[in-house]
Amino acid sequence: MKQPLTRTQVITLASLFIVIVVLALAFFLGGREERVVPPSSVLKDLEGPAPAVEGEGQKKTVTLFFASEADGLLHLEEREVEAGPTPAQEAGRVLDELVKGSRVGNLAVLPPDTRVRQVYFTRDGIAYVDFSGELSADHPSGSEAELATVFAVVNTLAYNYKDVKRVFILIDGTERESLGGHVRLDRALFPNYSLVAQQP
Amino acid sequence: MRRPNDKARPGAALFVACLVLAAFAAPSSAQAQTVLKTRVRDFSDYSRVSIETTQTLAFGFERSGAVLRVKVDSPTTLRLQGEPVESRVVKSLSWAKQGSTYILTIEAKVPSFNYNFYTLSNPFQLMIDITPDAAALPRPSEKPASSASRPPVSAPATTPASTPAVRPPASDPPAQLAPLPPSAKGVRTIVIDPGHGGLESGAKGRFGTLEKEVTLAVALKIKALIERNLAMRVVLTRDKDIDIPLADRGALANNNDAMLFISIHANGSYRKNSNGSEVYFLSLNAADEDTRRLAYLENNAGELEQKIGEQDADELQMILWDMAQSAFIKKSGQLAEFIQVELNALLGTANRGIKQAPFKVLTEVACPAVLVETAFISNPEEERKLANAVFQDNIAQAVYRGLLNYIRLYSQE
Repeated sequence: MKQPLTRTQVITLASLFIVIVVLALAFFLGGREERVVPPSSVLKDLEGPAPAVEGEGQKKTVTLFFASEADGLLHLEEREVEAGPTPAQEAGRVLDELVKGSRVGNLAVLPPDTRVRQVYFTRDGIAYVDFSGELSADHPSGSEAELATVFAVVNTLAYNYKDVKRVFILIDGTERESLGGHVRLDRALFPNYSLVAQQP
Repeated sequence: MRRPNDKARPGAALFVACLVLAAFAAPSSAQAQTVLKTRVRDFSDYSRVSIETTQTLAFGFERSGAVLRVKVDSPTTLRLQGEPVESRVVKSLSWAKQGSTYILTIEAKVPSFNYNFYTLSNPFQLMIDITPDAAALPRPSEKPASSASRPPVSAPATTPASTPAVRPPASDPPAQLAPLPPSAKGVRTIVIDPGHGGLESGAKGRFGTLEKEVTLAVALKIKALIERNLAMRVVLTRDKDIDIPLADRGALANNNDAMLFISIHANGSYRKNSNGSEVYFLSLNAADEDTRRLAYLENNAGELEQKIGEQDADELQMILWDMAQSAFIKKSGQLAEFIQVELNALLGTANRGIKQAPFKVLTEVACPAVLVETAFISNPEEERKLANAVFQDNIAQAVYRGLLNYIRLYSQE
């Protein structure tokens, strides 16, 4: 025969139910205030916060592209950067390294005072990179210099992040016709590996 | 091609020019007729009578007062075919035969004039430029007799500083689209784009030479060469030191129904040693872009009858525009190749070949388009050359010759 529940048992079950409901509410609603609001209308297709990179806080080896005085082509150079917490934040640090220049004697292809303001990855494989105005103001101009700068950035991101198919370069948060009168910046660009030296 | 005469030859004179063999075989049949197509076009200071035919002609001139006679000897029957004459300088053209000699009589509206002539081959063209004496030039009746009555295609200036304004002020770039003068209908337009300008100087040389100055000087020389030698109209995207957005440069070409667009630049690099000449035409990231386009169109083909969202419509517009441009890629590549060959021959610079790149100014143009990187202004040795007027003349000549070869190749179309 089934015994009726005692008063103590009813109170315990009711308390347990209330605790579960409170925890469930906290779980489903509590994260709302942490959503990232994109600062620009350009970034309307952003997905939510990117998943954390495995091994956050650890070092990660990435590949950068610099020009060579010898042949004018872009050459690969490996470097360690701090991993994570999101791919976009990590990519910002990778581009910081690109600005700092080569450690093996190749040519830096971004003006030294350029700052990486922000990097966003979208669901459809476009990386938006927002550089400070120095990128264009201090750029030496000329087709060869512009091609080197633009595709060092695009190739570096596409090479290191397999989800990045194209790169859209912004300057001071806005879209530009070009960097200095040549390469278009009004579209997301695919990487161009024809400008890269063949590896030995 | 023969070079044009530099000086007019007034008074009665007879020139008999025995020219090189015809590139096109003339009809050998005794009944064969050769058609001579004539056109008369007004330019700012002169009118040009052009005679085009498939057969190389031997000809001479005889002038008497306001009449210039062109005498042509030909074993075959010659027939004249031309548009009605509408000109400020030329009153009429008439055609007659005396024995075996055909005579084209050009009657001028002015009592005194000078003339120059030159020829082109493939197809054979005889160009006769008739320049009225300054006091005799009548002004168009619909406009007041003032400097403002000059047609928009003005004589090219030799230096940027003395360049006359051929377009309205820079504050409204789309308004710079110079309309064709009524008598120039049918004349093909070539747009020459001197790169950069205004605050946007382009690349800078170590000795202070600015890319925008070199490009303007070269573009003006190219314009002069084309207008002197070809029956074509040249529009410059800028003729002085002003800012013009890249999109407006393309719009200028499109609004003038340009047949070709040639952008002139001087290269710049992070490398000290970069040198040489190269010609670019548009790259649309071919493989990947094509895949994307096809995927989009295939995925959306069944839905096109439904209402297209604003964002999708934008994307579709961009794809259609890219596809329109890709139609010109082959011709652009051909033009690039012709110009590259001449740059190598005339400049003595390193041959960097023809290349493709996603250059903004080329993406805006709905006709074959190239961007000429003449030499490296970032290289001190080439900077000195770029600042030199003779070197600039050679660049202009190379672009002109490349253009001529392109026109010959596609003249049958």
